[in-house]
Amino acid sequence: MADALHTLSAAELGRRLAAGTLTSRALCEALIVRYQAVNEKVGAFTHLDHVDVLAQADASDARRKAGQGRGPLEGIPVAIKDNIAVKGQPLTCSSKMLAPLVSPYDSHVAERLRAAGAILYGRLNMDEFAMGSSTENSAVRKTFNPWDLARIPGGSSGGSAAALAAGLVPLSLGSDTGGSIRQPASHCGVVGLKPSYGLISRFGLVAFASSLDQIGPMARSIEDCELLLNALASADARDMTCFGPSDRTLTPAGEAKQLRIGIPKGFLGKGVAPEVAAAVNAAVEFYRAQGCAISEVELPSADLAVPTYYVVATAEASSNLGRYDGVRYGHRSASAGTPVEMMTASRSEGFGPEVKRRILLGTFVLSAGYADAYYVRALRARAKIRAEYLAALAGVDVLLTPTVPTPAFKVGEKASDPLQLYLEDIFTIPANLAGLPAISVPCGKSGHLPVGFHLVGAPLSEAKLLAAGRLFEAAHGFAHQQAAL
Amino acid sequence: MAEGFDIDHLAKLARLSLTAEEKALYASQLNQILGHFQALADADLPATIDDARVVDESALRSDEPGPVLGAEAVTRIAPASRDGQISVPRVVDDES
Repeated sequence: MADALHTLSAAELGRRLAAGTLTSRALCEALIVRYQAVNEKVGAFTHLDHVDVLAQADASDARRKAGQGRGPLEGIPVAIKDNIAVKGQPLTCSSKMLAPLVSPYDSHVAERLRAAGAILYGRLNMDEFAMGSSTENSAVRKTFNPWDLARIPGGSSGGSAAALAAGLVPLSLGSDTGGSIRQPASHCGVVGLKPSYGLISRFGLVAFASSLDQIGPMARSIEDCELLLNALASADARDMTCFGPSDRTLTPAGEAKQLRIGIPKGFLGKGVAPEVAAAVNAAVEFYRAQGCAISEVELPSADLAVPTYYVVATAEASSNLGRYDGVRYGHRSASAGTPVEMMTASRSEGFGPEVKRRILLGTFVLSAGYADAYYVRALRARAKIRAEYLAALAGVDVLLTPTVPTPAFKVGEKASDPLQLYLEDIFTIPANLAGLPAISVPCGKSGHLPVGFHLVGAPLSEAKLLAAGRLFEAAHGFAHQQAAL
Repeated sequence: MAEGFDIDHLAKLARLSLTAEEKALYASQLNQILGHFQALADADLPATIDDARVVDESALRSDEPGPVLGAEAVTRIAPASRDGQISVPRVVDDES
């Protein structure tokens, strides 16, 4: 094989598999060699079972040989963030709390991938319980940005983004509660899509903040991202908020050159690094030159998004993480006395510092005497932010901003300042608060570090986001980029 | 708005045991974060929270038995089990 298989897109790999010039076993063997050469440096994976991977690959090759191939993902490896259940594989959320757990069941997305013939390929590192923006909060290991190993890959889906940028796997799954797919995608120069709330089932996703959490696809190109999205999106009665796609969600959106693009007023101002602003402005000018209608839009409550998010998300997290009591699964303290002492000791030993901080914060904003001042006001602010976004999106097709204000920072640089880390998500949080689809598309570099722009659309308008991304990607050289390692 | 939280009370509510150093650190950081939330107190906000929902309705399943994990699968992932049941510290006192 002339081309190194780890450099190829999922779509190209699928074509070769379909043509019979490649087997899934040969592909997986090549990726395992790549894993052995690179993963120790990057730290994207926390677990990879070579024997299981090759068994899945052989089964895929046998299906194809028997004329029972299951579609474009047949035989293609998809790596999975360690908060999404795959039967028989570890499910730890990169936390000591769940360290020994092996999932006894498949998530809905794992079922969908198996039904599509994909190889469920290993577990990806993350901030503990998806709480963080740098993957430094993993209790397992650090993950480093493949473009600069002294820097963070973003988070919380840092392993998912770094694995793509390092050529460790062609496709990955992340989860996104406030930007956890899009922010690491931007920092690692890959595509990451947070779908509309309700498009993809969360059955089998370990809950962080249930009114915000979504599973989404990550890839090195728009085409690959779309391939994975199409496999995942479907209604599922086991997630009571999941309705799946509408008729228009996944179908081509028509002429991307006729899209109306809104630029939120003031979003390219304070706090945005000049190189990031320049790359995003160049993208805006590209779309203008293509014939897209560019207009400025007002989102006057945008400054409320970060405090609103951190009240709502921590409130929900403090409730969701109440289930970790050392009784049914996960860590149980050896110093157990009474049941309450056992629960308290198990939680104190099992959770890391950021998780404890957020549980305390969420407990406070829900506590008697403070819930009205914090939680209820945050819900009212959320309603206002959502209304402003929906009003803006009534006049334009997509909103374009940077994904992250600055390029990837150095490991440890913000570790002692949680508030500064929370501000990493300033552009991505509103889409979660409003339940809107959003995508990060690579659009340039700041020095050697990738920069992405961010598109937000109306509910179930994923096809428009992908069409806009495809138009940009086709004219620029950022698809399929991988760091030299 | 950010005044008055009691880190010991919060830790008790959250079932967390904190060292003195942790209490001092979290109290300081939570005060800083809650200061940032002041924007919420100052904002002119709608009276209702109805529009905060991101889906208009939720679909309830029919109330019928469905597939569940069996006792063997459940006890296999439990920290301690005996005779097909999860073991926990004694929750009631001896008869007195």
